[in-house]
Amino acid sequence: MAELVTEAIPREAVIRAQQRRRRLIYTAAGIVAFALLVWWILGKMSLRSFWLQSLNGLSFGAVLFFLASGFTLIFGLMRITNLAHGGFYLVGGYMGFSVMKWTGNFALALFAAALGITVVGLFTERILLRPIRGLEKPEVLLTIGLTFVLGDLSLAVWGGDPTPVPVPGFLQGPLRIGDFAYPRYRLFVLVCAIVVAIVLFYIERRTRLGAIVRAGVDDRETVAALGINIKAVFTGVFMFGAFLAGFAGVIGGGFLTLLPGQDFEILLFGLVVVILGGLGSLPGAVLGAVMVGLIDSFAKALVPELSFFTLFAPMALVLVLRPQGLLGKEE
Amino acid sequence: MRLLSLTARVKLGLLVAAIGIGIAAPYLFGSFIVGLLSLALIAGLFAMSIDLLAGYAGLVTLGQAGISATAAYGVGYMANKVGAGIPAQVLVGIAAGLVASAIFAAMAMRTGGVYFIMITLAQGMIVWGLSIRLYKITGAENGLTGIERPSAISEYWQYYYFVLAVVLVCSFLLFIAVRSPFGSSIKGIRESESRMRMLGYNPALQKVYVFMVSGFFASVAGILLVYLNGFISPFAAYISASAIGVLEAILGGIGTLIGPMIGAFIIVYIQNIVSTNLERWPTLLGLIFIVVILFARQGLVGAVSTGWHRWLERRERVGPGDSAGDVADRPGDLSLESSEPR
Repeated sequence: MAELVTEAIPREAVIRAQQRRRRLIYTAAGIVAFALLVWWILGKMSLRSFWLQSLNGLSFGAVLFFLASGFTLIFGLMRITNLAHGGFYLVGGYMGFSVMKWTGNFALALFAAALGITVVGLFTERILLRPIRGLEKPEVLLTIGLTFVLGDLSLAVWGGDPTPVPVPGFLQGPLRIGDFAYPRYRLFVLVCAIVVAIVLFYIERRTRLGAIVRAGVDDRETVAALGINIKAVFTGVFMFGAFLAGFAGVIGGGFLTLLPGQDFEILLFGLVVVILGGLGSLPGAVLGAVMVGLIDSFAKALVPELSFFTLFAPMALVLVLRPQGLLGKEE
Repeated sequence: MRLLSLTARVKLGLLVAAIGIGIAAPYLFGSFIVGLLSLALIAGLFAMSIDLLAGYAGLVTLGQAGISATAAYGVGYMANKVGAGIPAQVLVGIAAGLVASAIFAAMAMRTGGVYFIMITLAQGMIVWGLSIRLYKITGAENGLTGIERPSAISEYWQYYYFVLAVVLVCSFLLFIAVRSPFGSSIKGIRESESRMRMLGYNPALQKVYVFMVSGFFASVAGILLVYLNGFISPFAAYISASAIGVLEAILGGIGTLIGPMIGAFIIVYIQNIVSTNLERWPTLLGLIFIVVILFARQGLVGAVSTGWHRWLERRERVGPGDSAGDVADRPGDLSLESSEPR
């Protein structure tokens, strides 16, 4: 509040009106820019490939949502930036691959891998992060070190070849509606993400657990003072975030294939999602994931050489205009 | 009346000894070791540039390799694709590095803490991604090869002396920078942004300045490295390159200038000598990372300095200038957080 000392303090209402006006202008500018972008894209490609790319982008965005929602949940509550999330994704995917190979049961693979990563998350939170709890920068750097270990060990166990997670028969092949065909698996991923998003929103907004987590985000000390075991909540949330990352690994491994180095690559996408959407915000994770998925998909189709730059530009724009992210809370 | 305190004399003596060994090295060791020494000196300069941000300004970056790689690609592009002379190569390299740091800084200037780490990590990875995709400029995964040194420093030992000289000059410049008013103001950013704002500073602008200065030295390191290796590939911008630099700075002692150099020598030694028989270098690297973060955040220089001052205090005759550590060289602590959330 240092800057307020030197200036006259504007009235609360004036500030709020200013903020509202600014938000309106930004939203309007965003919608216009979006419409122009769609118009430009439609000039470049047929309507059919437009829908195709949109679905590709949304299904990739779905995987990013699984990843980013766990990441953002952990950050929102504990202020831990878990950069090992990419490593959790990759190892989770490989675990799912192995279970799928042994049993052939996709649902089992999905949950076994996600639970496996949950255990890794428990170990990470209890053993590695607990001694440096609250030291933000050491926490971040430790999770980077952990990612190196996870990535290298999975290279040792599963080798360096691209490994797709096998998908069950009823999800293979395209789904045809009229003369439009689209891979069933990607549609399945999309539906999964929508279901998970609804469940997450419900838990966060409507349950006692969600209330505790939301209260923990705002004021950890008071929550602890109310007799809630906040440490247990921390561990639980961290494990749940890890669960989602492992889940994302298996489900994403079904169409993105698993590769050494993908831990950091998917982490990059996940980071851009939360930087765009706003760290700690669940709606922000949805918005960011949809944006990044679509941007990536259309950029790969239209300007393949610049496909990484197209991530960079919106990130730069958001950071300059709204450093806390589109739906992030101002601090 | 002594001219210098005991601490200062010991420091000076160690520094002179280190430089002496540095000058004598090509007479003592073979080409392999001298090559590694060049590599370690360059890594040290790179780690120092990270420490200027992480230790002095309190802004930990995980994207510094993106800047040094951009500079190296500038050199490689001019050498390999344009066929320009050495001066043009170096100029374009430095310019590319500075432009990259300016863009990075503009994006990150309004943030700090973990946000800063995330943004710089994303920036570095985007440089990596672009260097794979923009094959007309970067040669994609194969990178750019055949980047030759000028004939006067083409021999390995000649280049070693050149690297030694450049690194010494850069270290001296950094030494002056962190003791200048500029250095004090960036330490102010680390301690408390809101107080700096009260004093009339613009923290965002200060961050851009320190980022640019740090980016300049990272660019120099990147260019030295590309002439040492003769090639540049996307891996130079990868997260592990940035993370190793951060690890070196912390291992040696963050918030000091000599620390990152010592850390770089240790890591280069482990990577190239200890782990040649060990296939799992990234695992070892990750474990070192975790152990250092958990148990040795103060770094070697920090630990030695603490021990030294304790020893001084225990001595009977404690000179007034002796027990008080040099404020400018106070080893930082990674856990130091700015008073604002971010």
